[in-house]
Amino acid sequence: MTLPPKLDPSTWNPAITIISYRLDNGLKIMVLPDHAVPVVSLQIHYQVGSKNELPGITGISHLFEHLMFRGTEELGPEEFARRLQSKGGEINAFTTKDHTSYFENLPTDHLELALQLEADRLQNLKLDEENFQTEREVVISERKLRSVDSPFGLVEEQLFAAAYTQHPYTWPVIGWNQDLRRLTLADCQAYYRAYYHPGNATVVIAGDVEPEAARDLVSKYFGHIPSPGPPTFPQVTEPPQRGERRVVFKKVSQVEAFLAGFHVVGLDHPDIYPLTLLEVVLSGGKASRLYQEFVRPGRVADMEAYLAPPPWPAQDPDLFLFRAVAAPGSDLAQLEADLWSSLEHLKERGVEEAELGRAQKILKAQTVQGLAKNFFRGLLAGLFQLKTGDAQRINDILGFYEAVTRDDLTRVAQEYLTEDNRTVVTLKPVSPEESEALGTLS
Amino acid sequence: MTGYLSEIYQKSLPNGMNLLAMEYERVPWVSLTCMVKRGAETDPPDKAGVADWTAEFLTLGTARHSQRELAEKVESLGANLRVRAEYDATYISLDGLAEDFSALMEILAEVVQNPGFPDAEFPMLLERRRAELAHLLDDPQELASRHFRRLFFGAAPYGHAVRGEPESLEALGLQDLTDHYKREFAPNVTTLVVAGMVPKARVQEEAHRFWDGWQGGGPVSPAYSSAPAELAPPGLYLVDRPELTQSEIRMGHLGLPRHHPDYFPLRLANYILGEGGFSSRLMTRIRSDLGFTYGIRSRFFFRRAPGPFIVSTFTPAENTAQVVQEIGAVMQNVRTHGVTAQELSEAQSYYVGHFPLGLETSRSLATQVLNIDLYDLGLDYLSRYCENIQGVTLEAAQQAARTHLQPEALVTLVVGPAARCRAALEELGALTVIEGS
Repeated sequence: MTLPPKLDPSTWNPAITIISYRLDNGLKIMVLPDHAVPVVSLQIHYQVGSKNELPGITGISHLFEHLMFRGTEELGPEEFARRLQSKGGEINAFTTKDHTSYFENLPTDHLELALQLEADRLQNLKLDEENFQTEREVVISERKLRSVDSPFGLVEEQLFAAAYTQHPYTWPVIGWNQDLRRLTLADCQAYYRAYYHPGNATVVIAGDVEPEAARDLVSKYFGHIPSPGPPTFPQVTEPPQRGERRVVFKKVSQVEAFLAGFHVVGLDHPDIYPLTLLEVVLSGGKASRLYQEFVRPGRVADMEAYLAPPPWPAQDPDLFLFRAVAAPGSDLAQLEADLWSSLEHLKERGVEEAELGRAQKILKAQTVQGLAKNFFRGLLAGLFQLKTGDAQRINDILGFYEAVTRDDLTRVAQEYLTEDNRTVVTLKPVSPEESEALGTLS
Repeated sequence: MTGYLSEIYQKSLPNGMNLLAMEYERVPWVSLTCMVKRGAETDPPDKAGVADWTAEFLTLGTARHSQRELAEKVESLGANLRVRAEYDATYISLDGLAEDFSALMEILAEVVQNPGFPDAEFPMLLERRRAELAHLLDDPQELASRHFRRLFFGAAPYGHAVRGEPESLEALGLQDLTDHYKREFAPNVTTLVVAGMVPKARVQEEAHRFWDGWQGGGPVSPAYSSAPAELAPPGLYLVDRPELTQSEIRMGHLGLPRHHPDYFPLRLANYILGEGGFSSRLMTRIRSDLGFTYGIRSRFFFRRAPGPFIVSTFTPAENTAQVVQEIGAVMQNVRTHGVTAQELSEAQSYYVGHFPLGLETSRSLATQVLNIDLYDLGLDYLSRYCENIQGVTLEAAQQAARTHLQPEALVTLVVGPAARCRAALEELGALTVIEGS
């Protein structure tokens, strides 16, 4: 059968065009034109995240992200989101260990308004005591939701706190409770001055735009904003772990669980690709090893290996995680021993060709599926640029996965998934009375 | 505005099944869904979860392949087989690369038409569900939603969790699942939806090849479409969870069925009340003004029968009573004073402007088509959608708010630490403490 060219998968070209510009004030711009649907994803990535904080003011990056929605000289609280949402936009932001990102996915016609409002809050944010106090309470509620009352939020915090001894990935993005309560308006004002300027930002526009016209629009609203140049940060390296670390954390819970992490590499390291494939071999789908061995027979409520796929791994060496939630009545210690023994088996015997092939096809499929969204295309380019300095790498991802061999998988498993490189936090259930006797959760 | 929308084409297969499909050119991807228009509504009151467990069981082996072989087959294509029941329908979905379209269609047909129902898989399914349930009940949000559903609807069809209740672990057997399959999986209530980079002729050819011969079961249960005779009396209810630092709050009353003529005006009014994020009154008051929560939302669950209207939020426990009071006041205000012309116009431009963002992926297109078929919205629904939104007048939105928001009928459930919120809640009115949780 002859297919119309647009409906023939074999003629589909996955190459994504990225046109880059740089304004005189240091602002980096990347445009990814695509005219299929009259929408655009505008993203502004500031190169500052929780790793750039200091003990005592942890959580300021994320709290500041909230403050960016509290209005300017011209706009009232949340009016930024309201005005763009009323044009059909999806408006939000997120803070990670490495960067803080704001986005507006909206009809192309309203790109200029979004740029105008982004430039406005970059220069004229209204940082007053009332806004600060209200938003701090909101973040405290968010911390209780995500960390304190969630089944494993605090367990995960304990894992990173134990696994990193010197690197700032040791504290959570949302910050420690006591730091959130200690932060002041003056801290936020200083933070705004230091990190929110064009020299520390990358603008990504993906979707139905012409590159030069998009650049001109960005220039119109951002070109005149001065910048002191990118801030410098000390490069902190986590020393190699010299032996397993174990932590017990007690809380009210129906289930026993453990969370384990192994230090691996950051996004820029070539081993990120075999590690990502290893994660899929272990727990991607219902033919995967951990599903067949632990989940399918009902030994666990959940058992997964986790390493965020590119472009999501952290910039500096990240953790390869294992999360196991025991089924009621299961022996947690035995479960853990069996997991490590399963990994030893993989290290000794390697993986089968079919397992690697499945993992490669799964990652290819996920990538192709993701590329349907301008938002995802923009994030791929933006985050690779931010964390590796090379946005063009997004066009090589499928090739990187395809080049990985079975030997690579065995090698990374042997190199990184070792007992000495492992931190394990065990969740031990206690009664509400015992929990109270252990002190307040925060 | 909608020139980029491709046509939805329809074909009835000889066995009575319906085929609906859409060509999609953006990426070489295809989304297939077999929708059986019976779901958890048909679960017997003491056997919650039958529809959903049956759906999962279809993936645990076919007449030709074991669970593992089937999973390997799907995953060697990089595809994703997902099954779930909702109240009104059961969905078996397979998404994958367009280059594998024929293989995907064959797998989907095999899963739906020739399940193996292997005995040995049932005890494992049971253990997985037992473990999952224990794990789920540690999540305060899940706990609150489950309690609310049970409290509000009681034994009526929307009163149980689709995935099952703790009692299901003892009550359900393999026979229940095979019986459900034999009764409800019938071509005359089944629609196959295909959205992807596959030409129309090829979709039709493969649909005929793989589905024409399926006879299926029946006669199917009658569809559930009436409101329950009895609901929880309005008032305040509390589930004590001393270990929590925040209270989960659910406040709701009975809503409307999907086919109700006030659907569009009410969606717009509710966007303004609590569905419109930072544009909503509830978010403005409870989060932006008071800083009491990270998130709050109100939602009408439009189903075949009237679903619930629910306001959901959480707040540090000491704020609980004040948040409950504020929510009631915001609702009352919208009901009494209505919404403004500017609010309505912003809500309308949100839905119209946002419309193309929902068409970027083949899965989101497939979801639209599934809803069009399930609720008989008409094949021109997408092309009329923006018109329907823009056609709502201020008067119609006001009328919808006045008629369908009922602050006096609210059933309010709090799941939180009683020691820190009970006394203040009691000042708001009589409080029923729900024991045994």
